[in-house]
Amino acid sequence: MENKARPKKAFQNREKPTACRESNIAAAKAVADAIRTSLGPKGMDKMIQGSGGDVTITNDGATILKEMQVLHPAAKMLVELSKAQDIEAGDGTTTVVVLAGSLLNGAQKLLDKGVHPTTISESFQQAAAKAVEILSDMATSVELTDRESLLKSATTALNSKVVSQFSPLLAPMCVDAILKVIDPDRSTNVDLRDVKVVKKLGGTVEDTAMVEGLVFTQKVATPTITRVEKAHIGLIQFQLSPPKTDMENQVVISDYTQMDRIVQQERQYILELCKAIKKAGCNVLLVQKSILRDALSDLAVHFLTKLKILTIKDVERDEIEFICKSVGCKPIASVDHFTPEMLGHAELVETAATGDGKVVKITGPATPGRTVTLLVRGSNKLVLEEAERSIHDALCVIRCLVKKRAVIAGGGAPEIEVSQKLMEYAHTLTGMESYCVRAFAEALEVIPCTLAENAGLSPISTVTELRNRHAKGEKTAGINVRKGTITNILEENVVQPLLVSTSAFELATETVRSILKIDDILNAQRV
Amino acid sequence: MAADARLQPVSIFKSGAGEEKAETARTSSFVGAIAIGDLVKSTLGPKGMDKILVSGSSVTVTNDGATILKSIGVDNPAAKLLVEISKVQDDEVGDGTTSVTVFAAELLREAEQLIAQKIHPQTIIAGWRKAVVVARDALTAAASDNSADSEKFGQDLLNIAQTTLSSKILHQHRDFFSQLAVNAVMRLKGSTSLEAIKVLKKLGGSLSESYLDEGFLLEKKIGVNQPKRVENARILIANTPMDTDKIKVFGSRVRVDSTAKVAELEQAEKEKMKRKVEKILSHDINVFINRQLIYNYPEQLFADRGVMAIEHADFEGIERLALVLGGEIVSTFDHPELVKLGKCDLIEEVMIAEDKLLRFSGVALGEACTVVLRGATQQILDEAERSLHDALCVLSQTVRESRIVYGGGCSEVLMANAVRQLATKTPGKESVAMEAFARALCQLPAIIADNAGYDSAELVAQLRAAHMDQTSFAGLGTVTHIQVIELLMS
Repeated sequence: MENKARPKKAFQNREKPTACRESNIAAAKAVADAIRTSLGPKGMDKMIQGSGGDVTITNDGATILKEMQVLHPAAKMLVELSKAQDIEAGDGTTTVVVLAGSLLNGAQKLLDKGVHPTTISESFQQAAAKAVEILSDMATSVELTDRESLLKSATTALNSKVVSQFSPLLAPMCVDAILKVIDPDRSTNVDLRDVKVVKKLGGTVEDTAMVEGLVFTQKVATPTITRVEKAHIGLIQFQLSPPKTDMENQVVISDYTQMDRIVQQERQYILELCKAIKKAGCNVLLVQKSILRDALSDLAVHFLTKLKILTIKDVERDEIEFICKSVGCKPIASVDHFTPEMLGHAELVETAATGDGKVVKITGPATPGRTVTLLVRGSNKLVLEEAERSIHDALCVIRCLVKKRAVIAGGGAPEIEVSQKLMEYAHTLTGMESYCVRAFAEALEVIPCTLAENAGLSPISTVTELRNRHAKGEKTAGINVRKGTITNILEENVVQPLLVSTSAFELATETVRSILKIDDILNAQRV
Repeated sequence: MAADARLQPVSIFKSGAGEEKAETARTSSFVGAIAIGDLVKSTLGPKGMDKILVSGSSVTVTNDGATILKSIGVDNPAAKLLVEISKVQDDEVGDGTTSVTVFAAELLREAEQLIAQKIHPQTIIAGWRKAVVVARDALTAAASDNSADSEKFGQDLLNIAQTTLSSKILHQHRDFFSQLAVNAVMRLKGSTSLEAIKVLKKLGGSLSESYLDEGFLLEKKIGVNQPKRVENARILIANTPMDTDKIKVFGSRVRVDSTAKVAELEQAEKEKMKRKVEKILSHDINVFINRQLIYNYPEQLFADRGVMAIEHADFEGIERLALVLGGEIVSTFDHPELVKLGKCDLIEEVMIAEDKLLRFSGVALGEACTVVLRGATQQILDEAERSLHDALCVLSQTVRESRIVYGGGCSEVLMANAVRQLATKTPGKESVAMEAFARALCQLPAIIADNAGYDSAELVAQLRAAHMDQTSFAGLGTVTHIQVIELLMS
């Protein structure tokens, strides 16, 4: 630890807590610096090698931090912070960590000057509340019927990811997907589980498609049947295989003629089941995976093929609800419940050959339930997973708009605007608070600074130019990384939901405050 | 050689055991206790700091003395004693765990100096016993009781909650959370069992988005195809396996001679399950809550009859659920007339953050409520829960024992003055011990002042002078505008 010439305060012995605090702040700054370069449209991705040798390539802050093995407890808190931002807003996970790191840096300078941590903490809280107010003033409200603005936000979210060149394709898909699952007048929240994202290796990201219905990547048990129109879909939770009790059972025979009889009986039993299924008018069957025994015996498959019923097996238990919602069927737990009312309906069920396997698409559900499936394709596993994460972020962004229907300009504009207004506000305060709020405002400038750096522009001149423009009153001036200058960002269609920024400010401030309050690290044996 | 062996001291202990005597024993006790006191000193008061506890890969951030002490490994037996005291304070009252530890450590520090002056330990103990009696009397005399005036009492409760929370992480949202805590405790109507208040933690959002829900929230989902909303619910709470009925004898086996018989057996099993469900339904219920799994077939049977079935319901919390809903937990269903059903006005599904929960409103036990905590990180959530728990404990104790005194070091200095006066009247070495007691008492406000960054010696001297008047209730106002009030018992 460098021995800075710190003014010795009278009557205090503050060495241990100071050392601990410095270590915490240093650790947090290290984490923030690690992901700074991923911020913005020109941000770079990170390749993370897992312990098992598996590799992940990603730009998403939360994912990077999750995969990083951090030891220091303060750094772990930043990882949690990113997770919380992911849950709350979905995007801005990198922003929030960079912001927290910068705020801690500012706090460090104040601590060196001898300001007490709780004073800093309180002033930061005040500043954050004011910042949210300023942001809300800057925002323009948006209606969910305005597809254009939704598209702009989704495009902005996708622009900083690997799949940015496909954003003209993916953004409209995400917007449409969300619009389908919500009721525009009433909704204040969207359950993202209603939009299922299915990954299938093969093709390129351009082959990604939205399916108004369901997509299954599981194997088709009856491969000869590939297409069923006017499908009646049944979802069964019992097994089409020879009967087995839950206790161990043995069939004891004493005569070879009985052997014959057993085979006959088995055949008969399964035939009965299949006939019952056919009688109800079902021509597509979904079979739930069973842990008790083989869900579908070969004999059953044979019968079902003969009866021209398309069968898919190995459906997971947690997909059941999603399927019911999509096609309007009810899960059937026993054959006596198998009646026509329990079946769902769809226009068309067909298998399509893709890459290394087939997928089954169910389209045109008779009762368009509130679900949609996005079939994501990619040329390799890494791209595929990153594409899925990017789509998730875009979906979250639109969900934010459903929760809080307002957007603000992107490109670093809101941060600089808030920074300036906070500086003015600081002048009206007295004492330590004024100092601390000013430090808060300065710390906010790190976001446009980083955006400029990542784009290869000179950060200092860009930020000063930006400040100048904002002081003149151009609230929506931001960094345009494509052109390399400052322009009116709103006209360039770079917008982000208000919720992402307010949530980032609030969460970062809360975490910074709790880190400032820590003065000691103990090794516990059991917590 | 033999002669040498006889000269060695005889060892009567097992290898690894040891013995310390007299001076060494006492010194090691002092050292241990003082070390513990110094450890938690910095968390005392509104400007106290938190500590990080690292255990394996999990991280906890906390200000609560009991939590910190419970988690560190101590060897020294005296230190272990202090940890115990802190735990007892936590169980008895809920707050003041740090204060009690620090006070004990300060007393021992003073005792060390007295021993160095060659005063016998028994003298010290006798002196202190007298001092404790005097101190308690002074405290009781200074206490005020506002329980008769309900409006003032409400104000007192609020202030107490604010004091408790002022040294914790909820400091910033003190007003909000103290109001929340007071509301929750008022609903309890005088009982000190905090069972009826459930605390639910959900990552995301910020602390100010937490709220008090008048109903009872359960983190479970309803079965498929079942009514998502039930009014005027009659609830049966059970603890029974609803997957397949097995005979619990290991290695039991059924032997038959044809597949048809196996099919019959399977059918019989199904019938058995069906009959069980029928028996359950004969209780005339519209909601069924099971502690264990409900498998597919019975789930469907319930759905057919329009009964909401909830499975795997909160393994540990099933007791609380039964308490809140007013029902009994049943394991067999043969006697519907003997079973007490739970009741509530409305059950519906709500969504918080990304998860769906069940909300029971208008429950039989009106005191039940749920506090939903939101926060930026898991550590913040855990610490917020601990702080809220402390505040709730303190408030529920106040409702029972409603005398209050002022905090901010005021009561400590008051007691110290009373003890000092007694000391001047007592002849003999006991008076030296009593003065030491008074000094230790004054250390508490000194530490609070230290943590705030002020000149502690100056402030404490001023406090003492102010109290000499006997009429004023001066205390340290490190936070300048609130009236600091603490509980008599702590």
